[in-house]
Amino acid sequence: MMIRLWVLFLFLLPFLDCGIPSAHSGSLKSKIQNPKSGISRDEAVKLCAEANEKYLQAMKLIASKSIPEADQKLKEATDLYEAVLTGGFRNGQIYYNLGNTYYRRGELGKAIVNYRRAERLMPRNADINANLRLAKGSTKDKELSTEIPAVIKRIFFWLFFLNRNELSLVAISLYVVLMAILFFSTIRRHAGMKKLSIGFASILFVVIVSFGIKIYLEQGVNYGVIVTSECEVRYGPGEEYEPKFEIHNGAECVIEDEKDDWYRVYVKVGVKRGAGSETGVGEKASREVRRGWLQKKYVDLI
Amino acid sequence: MSVYKHYCSILMSVFAIFACVGKLCAQDILVTATVDQNILTLNDQLKLTLTIHGTQDTAHPSFPAIEGFTLLYGPSISAQEFNINGAVSVRKSYTYVLQPSAKGKFTIGPSTLEYKGKVYSSQPLKVEVVDMPRSSDAQAQNLEKLVFVELSVDKHEAYVYEQIALSFKFYFQKGLPVGDIDYTAPAAKSFMEEKLGDQRQYEEIRDGILYNVLELRTALFPMMSGDLTISAAKVKCNLIVRQQRDRRNTPSDSFFSDAFFDDFFGREQKRYPIERTTDSITLKVKPLPEEGKPKEFKGAVGAFHMEVSTQSQHVKVGDPITLSMSVYGEGNIQTIHEPVLIINKENDFKVYPSESTTQITNREEVIRGRKVFSKVIEPQKPDLKSTPAIVFSFFDPHAGQYKTITKEPIPITVEAGEQEVPIQLTLSHNNVIPAKHQVQLLTEDILPIMTNLAALRNQGNPVYRNPYIAGFLFIPAVVVITSLLISRHNDRLTSDIGYARTRRAHVMAKKRLEEARSMLRQNSPAEFFSCLSKAVSDYLADKFNIPPASATEDKVVSLLQQRGIKDDVIEDVSRCFTDYDHRRFSKDSGTVDEMERSLKLAEELITKMERQLS
Repeated sequence: MMIRLWVLFLFLLPFLDCGIPSAHSGSLKSKIQNPKSGISRDEAVKLCAEANEKYLQAMKLIASKSIPEADQKLKEATDLYEAVLTGGFRNGQIYYNLGNTYYRRGELGKAIVNYRRAERLMPRNADINANLRLAKGSTKDKELSTEIPAVIKRIFFWLFFLNRNELSLVAISLYVVLMAILFFSTIRRHAGMKKLSIGFASILFVVIVSFGIKIYLEQGVNYGVIVTSECEVRYGPGEEYEPKFEIHNGAECVIEDEKDDWYRVYVKVGVKRGAGSETGVGEKASREVRRGWLQKKYVDLI
Repeated sequence: MSVYKHYCSILMSVFAIFACVGKLCAQDILVTATVDQNILTLNDQLKLTLTIHGTQDTAHPSFPAIEGFTLLYGPSISAQEFNINGAVSVRKSYTYVLQPSAKGKFTIGPSTLEYKGKVYSSQPLKVEVVDMPRSSDAQAQNLEKLVFVELSVDKHEAYVYEQIALSFKFYFQKGLPVGDIDYTAPAAKSFMEEKLGDQRQYEEIRDGILYNVLELRTALFPMMSGDLTISAAKVKCNLIVRQQRDRRNTPSDSFFSDAFFDDFFGREQKRYPIERTTDSITLKVKPLPEEGKPKEFKGAVGAFHMEVSTQSQHVKVGDPITLSMSVYGEGNIQTIHEPVLIINKENDFKVYPSESTTQITNREEVIRGRKVFSKVIEPQKPDLKSTPAIVFSFFDPHAGQYKTITKEPIPITVEAGEQEVPIQLTLSHNNVIPAKHQVQLLTEDILPIMTNLAALRNQGNPVYRNPYIAGFLFIPAVVVITSLLISRHNDRLTSDIGYARTRRAHVMAKKRLEEARSMLRQNSPAEFFSCLSKAVSDYLADKFNIPPASATEDKVVSLLQQRGIKDDVIEDVSRCFTDYDHRRFSKDSGTVDEMERSLKLAEELITKMERQLS
């Protein structure tokens, strides 16, 4: 009886996980919507090639100290990358290139948002990780060490080295193989088949649970990045509430709630305290985790 | 020597006893009078208790002058001694039971007590006697008096961030068995909250009735100005009333009716739920005045002091000096900002962000505490003589004005340090000086963009949301379930004879009817009816899993009735059995038309039974 229930559970799991993302995506009203792809791949490739070209021209202009012209080229490249993304064509490369463009333009917050988005789509890419670290190192508020330990990443490698699509493809493949084994075990009964099916069922279970965790981490918890030079975090959702503390461009926060044009967030960053303080020295960052409200326009959701 | 020790210990014990007695005698004497109810009917009894606090060594207090009551019995005397946190208190109570003799409002006069030449008296009490029996409203009012709650604040007008003490009190009449207390704190959205002390328990007399009081206190700090509301607090509890047992005289009852078993098994207790809600409170919160606001003010409201210290006063250029700035006092200590350093020239000191530790030192009446900011500064020039001045500004709500504490610079001696030489891009051997090096990154830049356009594909459409893939996932599941069902069916056909006969009964019956049809074509009436009879009886034998020989009319009818088959079908079956046997063995086999009708009837009958038996 237990084996039958176990098999029934595994039958249902792949169908259940299709409902997970939609359940979580509704948690925040102002979450980024993923528009249906409005442009074809060829159009996206053409626009990206053009944007890459503008970016490379800007690099040459920077080398020749022609800063205004370089800035103009970078702006054009940004518009082209944004056009591809607005058209519903999402790719880790585009987010990464857009992050680089924003970094060159001095918009650290937007650069970090795009690196983070790129990281979700291309989790094994070392370039994204390097640029993200560099951008984080340039922020005024130094983030506390919240990185997951390397040992954990090694043990649960599939969770950190695969993106959502790859993880779901692994789950589907395992499911099909398991079903095939079950089918042949009904035709030809063999003790080995049963062991094989239990093995595959266990692996499938682990992968599906990992997939659920991945979706929870990416969609169940809302992360945001400050995209303005200085942002006052207040005691309540309104200008009438007194400022509690300040955070700066590129600081990452976790969004807990929203009300009208305000987010309730908590931040794990160094906090600037008064005129006498000089932030910018990593080792001396204050180790406080604070909650407060800030305006939505100052935050971009990852 | 040991004898001296013995005398010493006796002497010390005597001193200790006298000290305790002296402590007891030194207590203030107080006489109180309380009643168990202050509105009662002529049929009720009034319990009057006179209590002497502070001593037990007194004469009886005088019985007060009471009109409209007659003394039924009393006094019953009880003495109590309490030791709370080392403080010993004693009291002695005299309880009288009185019967009202007339209706009206009466005053129970003060009771007096003479002790060591001084006269002490209790407060007078007012009671009302009504002659009407209590209505349900009156009973409810009485219950309201037994248990009630109050929510209060120490001030109704305050400044933003000023400390306000919120007090919730839960009153229940002394001796009332109240339990399962569930408290819902008031919602104060626009305030920061800090718990004030532990829960307090004490006694209080209200309108002559003695109450036990549970008090919870919270310090509130309004975060915005305007009319702010503290919502109502709520408490739920149960009145636990012990029921009288219907006692029988069996030995087991007498054993198990012991109070120990009652308490252990929780029986003989009835719980009456009570819910009480306070009123909400509206506070007027004023904004901090703009007039006279110092530029160093960062939002601290309360009464604060500041101490500044440093451990090292003799340093070299670039060496750290840790300034310890301790701000302490009354107010929301958690949220105060660090004091401001007044640096005359920007390049004099390198300043690092501070680290802070907060300690609440007192939370009994108001929140008091200390926040220590440790700030590291590094002098950058050898000619500096002192640390920067430190300024802390706060708003004092009692004085209604801003106050600024300025701590004068601390004298320091700064010596010239070793010169820092940055690492050059091209190092010359001549320039290498054994000195304190400051490591510099030569380049720090992001990695270039990705240009592999061939690998560009849309990753924005999740695979798991693709409807075709979701549909495809059903196919293997359906295939496996179907194959499983087929496999189980085949297994059962080979292992379960009854199941196999039941499943095949209809097919077999159809074959036999086909044989009967061929007999009809050959015009062999006896064989035709034999086949027809066999078709029906074998069908039923298969369906009921009985031997074909046992499928007699009586047996089949009985089984059909057990299975709840309709009566008309059972009648048809019975008729068929009789008719077919009659036709098989008699010469009157009927015409061809009659045989065809019989065949059709048998087919319809089997179809009907198949529907009803499956």
